[in-house]
Amino acid sequence: MPSVSKGVFSYGLPALVLIAAIAVFPSLAPNPYVLSSGVIVLNWAVLATAWNFVGGFTGYISLGHGALAGLGGYATGLLITKASLPSFAGLLVAALLVAALAVPIGFAALRVRGASFVIVSIALVLILLLVFQSWSSVTGGSRGLVVPRPFPGMLRPEHHRVFFFLYGGLLLLALATWWLLDRSRFGMGLKAIREDEDKAESLGTPTFAYKLTVFVVSAAFTALAGGLYALWFGDLDPVFQFSVLTGSYIVLMALLGGVRNLYGPVLGAVVVGVALEYFKVEFGNTPLHLVTTGLLLGLVVMFMPDGVIPSLGAPAKRLRKRQDSSIREVTAADLAEQRRGRTEVKS
Amino acid sequence: MPSGALLFQSIILGLLLGGMYALLAAGLTLYFGIMRVVMIAHSAFLILAAYLAWWTNDRLGVDPLLSLVVTVPLFFGAGVLLQRGLLSRLRPATLTMMSVLITFAIALMIEGLLGYAFTGTQRRIRLGYGTASFELFGARVAVVKLIAFGLAAVSLAALYVLMKRTQFGWALRATIQHRDAARLVGIDTERTAGFGFGLGLATAAVGGTALSLDTTIYPSLHWHWIGPLMAIIVVGGLGSVPGAAAAALLLGLAQSLLQIPMGATWAQTVFYVALFATLAVRPQGFFGGRLAQRF
Repeated sequence: MPSVSKGVFSYGLPALVLIAAIAVFPSLAPNPYVLSSGVIVLNWAVLATAWNFVGGFTGYISLGHGALAGLGGYATGLLITKASLPSFAGLLVAALLVAALAVPIGFAALRVRGASFVIVSIALVLILLLVFQSWSSVTGGSRGLVVPRPFPGMLRPEHHRVFFFLYGGLLLLALATWWLLDRSRFGMGLKAIREDEDKAESLGTPTFAYKLTVFVVSAAFTALAGGLYALWFGDLDPVFQFSVLTGSYIVLMALLGGVRNLYGPVLGAVVVGVALEYFKVEFGNTPLHLVTTGLLLGLVVMFMPDGVIPSLGAPAKRLRKRQDSSIREVTAADLAEQRRGRTEVKS
Repeated sequence: MPSGALLFQSIILGLLLGGMYALLAAGLTLYFGIMRVVMIAHSAFLILAAYLAWWTNDRLGVDPLLSLVVTVPLFFGAGVLLQRGLLSRLRPATLTMMSVLITFAIALMIEGLLGYAFTGTQRRIRLGYGTASFELFGARVAVVKLIAFGLAAVSLAALYVLMKRTQFGWALRATIQHRDAARLVGIDTERTAGFGFGLGLATAAVGGTALSLDTTIYPSLHWHWIGPLMAIIVVGGLGSVPGAAAAALLLGLAQSLLQIPMGATWAQTVFYVALFATLAVRPQGFFGGRLAQRF
């Protein structure tokens, strides 16, 4: 239901702002370090947007997308070093491979809902970490895997700039895909799954095929981001590539910005990504960044489960809520209110 | 083919390990039964208890088992607070998903604070009886492993008695089975759920102390535990305590036996193989679980 609020101000204007920001940032960045931070933030933005294909549309929360990014990175690196593919061909083949691999993974994981799905997604990260650390004859194990740079002669700042634009392009592609899905019949089916999977099924939506398809699309974009990272950074280590933290950062970004909004994950990625870079400078290697991440995630879950964009647009939201939220959500909210009221009366 | 003695040794060790898994998985099934909550932070609390036991021993020079006197009530209280203060305030419609994230956030905070307080250095308790072992039909069994198993067995038995014989246990089981019906017969389900949560976390205090006896501990160790524990509760069928116990013993045994041909790291994968096999063949779990597929 494209309503008034989803017109120019929701999509067009932010798109222009985003494109302009991507275009001018490299020339505004005062030094290569800031530029490289920009690349990292864009990497997060692509990951969070890719995550939002599953999380936003179907409501399935995956903490394992970090594993898909890691797979994309390692597949890219291995295709280049072992199969001697050209860099960007390696990247594309890697994304296709991860998408193909996402079919059996999704087949097992998407058979269960909610909590079990989250468990499976965490297990995915842990098992891949185990495999990539142990199987060192192929993956380099903890010594790491060095990926040759795609542009050998290029100086560092120029390298960052090129990758900034590559990531920017990928981000716009992911956003455009999400936007198209959002308006399609397919997207409608996915949102029906989010609201009430049983009812969607009984109304004839092929829920499993829909979930699997969107999971594969999400995996492909995630793998592309991971592969680009491998090409840009040039050095992969299982501990960082297959970390549960990566997945939790992605979820934090998407939730913070708002999962039902096209630009929510991007906004979240900018806020959290910049904060992460700041913590890295400020706290170095102390474990305090874990505490701050945990605290932030907790606060978002408790107080802003819909994300910043919907929370800030409170008055508009009130109008919109009447229009496009489902019956189930209203009753659930009512239920909660009733329950709270009842316990308060009692105590 | 490994020798009979080695095989027997592995079986004994596997059962001892399985007992520990069973105790910890019982906590996870309790949370899930009570509130449909998957508590990612369970193993973080486990490591926290292990650190407290180590600290007790290191600073005060007493037996780490004495720390139970403090950690069990402390963790019980933390569980009650956690349920009343955070989990019961989440929106019912998205409770399961959001509870995963909030407990995940708690796990991160615990890991970060442990790293801040005790640094990332690996710690180990040194005990007088730490290296003692005895022979049992040709198998060497370390005393600390047996103590850990004994702790697990005693707490599981206590949990069983509590659930079956006490009024609180009845109220808790009624709350798990049908919350509204339980409320109808006059059970204060909110209070019961809070205490149930405390009970679950108390099992983490016991488990962590048992763990600290013969394991090297470090702040990020909880990731190492959460995977197998999650696998166990899915294989056993979410929400089923007997199922979790059966799966825990079986998988602990399998891990221990597979260590002979595969080595310790690859043997770990048995949990994930079992997890994915369960989901592919029988998503509701192999042992009597009936809630899993929906949540």
